[in-house]
Amino acid sequence: MIVKIVNALQIFSFRNNAVGIIFKQVTVFGLLALFTFSSCNKQPREEPYKPTPYHIEIPFGFPNKLNIPKDNPMTVEGIALGRYLYYDGRLSGRTDPDSLMTCATCHLQERSFEAGIDNPRFPGGHPHGITGIPTPHVMLPHINLVWNFTGYLWDGAVYPDNPDENMRNIEDIVRLGVTSKHELDGDTARTAALFQSIPGYPELFKKAFGSDKVTFKNIGRAIAQFVRTLISANSKFDKYMRGEVQLSQSELHGYVLFTSEEGGDCFHCHGGFGNPLFTTNLFYNNGKDTAFTDPLDHYSVTHDPMDIGAYKATTLRNIEVQGPYMHDGRYETLEQVIDFYSHHVVRSPSISPLMHHVITGGIQLTPPEKEDLLNFIKALRDDDFMTNPDFAKPEKFPDER
Amino acid sequence: MRIRELLIIFSAFALLAVSCHKTPEQPETKTGKLSFSFKHRVDGQPLQFDTMMYVNAAGNHYLVNEIQYFISDVTLHKSDGDSVLLDKWEDIHYVDTDIESTWTYVLKDDIKAGTYHSISFTFGINEQKNQSLIFVNPPESLMFWPELLGGGYHYMKLNGKWLDTLNHISPFNFHLGIGQIYYSFPDSISRYVQNYFKVSLPNSGFEMQAGETKNFTIVMNVENWFQNPNVFDFNYRGGDIMQKQDAMHAACENGWDVFTLEKKK
Repeated sequence: MIVKIVNALQIFSFRNNAVGIIFKQVTVFGLLALFTFSSCNKQPREEPYKPTPYHIEIPFGFPNKLNIPKDNPMTVEGIALGRYLYYDGRLSGRTDPDSLMTCATCHLQERSFEAGIDNPRFPGGHPHGITGIPTPHVMLPHINLVWNFTGYLWDGAVYPDNPDENMRNIEDIVRLGVTSKHELDGDTARTAALFQSIPGYPELFKKAFGSDKVTFKNIGRAIAQFVRTLISANSKFDKYMRGEVQLSQSELHGYVLFTSEEGGDCFHCHGGFGNPLFTTNLFYNNGKDTAFTDPLDHYSVTHDPMDIGAYKATTLRNIEVQGPYMHDGRYETLEQVIDFYSHHVVRSPSISPLMHHVITGGIQLTPPEKEDLLNFIKALRDDDFMTNPDFAKPEKFPDER
Repeated sequence: MRIRELLIIFSAFALLAVSCHKTPEQPETKTGKLSFSFKHRVDGQPLQFDTMMYVNAAGNHYLVNEIQYFISDVTLHKSDGDSVLLDKWEDIHYVDTDIESTWTYVLKDDIKAGTYHSISFTFGINEQKNQSLIFVNPPESLMFWPELLGGGYHYMKLNGKWLDTLNHISPFNFHLGIGQIYYSFPDSISRYVQNYFKVSLPNSGFEMQAGETKNFTIVMNVENWFQNPNVFDFNYRGGDIMQKQDAMHAACENGWDVFTLEKKK
């Protein structure tokens, strides 16, 4: 065909002369080269890796510093992938229906991403891993974690400037969750290989991270991105802060008790108007016991004797649905918790100085005060968060489309 | 004629170009920088935390667990009565004995070379600036002072424990901020009291040379919070004072000599 084209060109001016012969040779070479190049270009075009940046909108009064690692920026594609993985039981690295387990197995949206005390699989809200081994503590919710800079988990073992670079952020907690005996009891390589083999997932990894090779590192990154979007900022109290609604008289009195030192004195550890996270994300020995044997308290991380028996102050957002309470789940109801803080706080050498009410055994609330305080705490319930479709299980997984 | 016109035009452009370069000469730098380091002592010795080794003027044995506080309105005074307020609205500095990065405060403003008679600052935050939600990020945001109690921020949290009359180790929260005057305690507040106060650092005069950076150390002498003029007895005052204006007032009166300045490290 090329020769035919060359012959046609010759007709114009170079027929039957030497220059024409040279031109013919050059032209053939040139057209061959052009053909070669053009056939190269006929390969399907690579889509450039261009994930869509995701910006977290800062709710009223919330911190504007976010704990997002530089090597895992938030993207729409990363979050979408993370949501699938968060809900896909094959994160355990297994496909047998009895062996499926993932984040959402225990972290239920309707329970503010906790198990909940009424969980049929985990009686009393005490979770156990895939092989039945109980977790060392009860659960903490996946809620507003993007604002935690001081340490994840009850003991704070995972924190940004940890010398152990594998124990710094939510990405690392994903790995801990998959490999721990008391959680998924899995293997990171096996999990990565499994998702590599599931149709639809490699393409999602490519969109999120630029490569369709599934690595566990990217599994952790994707889930962490999704978890960072789990933001609760629309409780009745948030609306009150924004001037949209009024609290009831009982809730208002509860708020007064919550934020006064002579009342409940809750705010120093659990926030309020000036700290709407409703936690300092710090660790306190809150006077539950006189002696301590749990090897996974904050002391296990800091080795500071003042941290013996100290645990993360949980956020009180949605605390109503997050029973049982305290690190060991010793209280089933918020009423029991308020009773403890009222009358049963006990001394120990490492009790937090903020627990000064230990002098009288507690904050000594009367029954009506307890009721008002409870009503205020219930105003921190955010049903929009617990029903937000963006946080819910996807209708179909990538291989079901 | 044509050449003459061209010459005139050329001369005009040349003149313009030359005049463009006639910007005033940059003034010689005649400023320096000022920074503070913060140290905490008891009875002249570096503060040791979490050890029941101190005795206050009331005879209470006590320990200190942590201290967190704001200073603001750093002002340089001249002998002629003139003064310079530094950093304006950005001058609220947070100090936390647990966070090393807060132990240094580099003032943003350049300091004119010259002689300064003394340095003063506000302990806490003044009424105009002490508004809720001016800090949204920890650790400063964790200093918030509840709206009900006056809003804004704690001036200071000094947390520790003392040995009470029953020989129990009891926690204290020596917290200072906006006070309340109650119609009927604790439900009805008639008015709020601004407890922040000005600290004039003794022997704080200095000479600033052009291009120099002065590093001074502000020392908090912790024991002075509990004495002079008011002996602060934990057994009498109890473990909390946020809603006890008389106790906060007594503490703030004691604050006048809590801070000293050291010019050598």
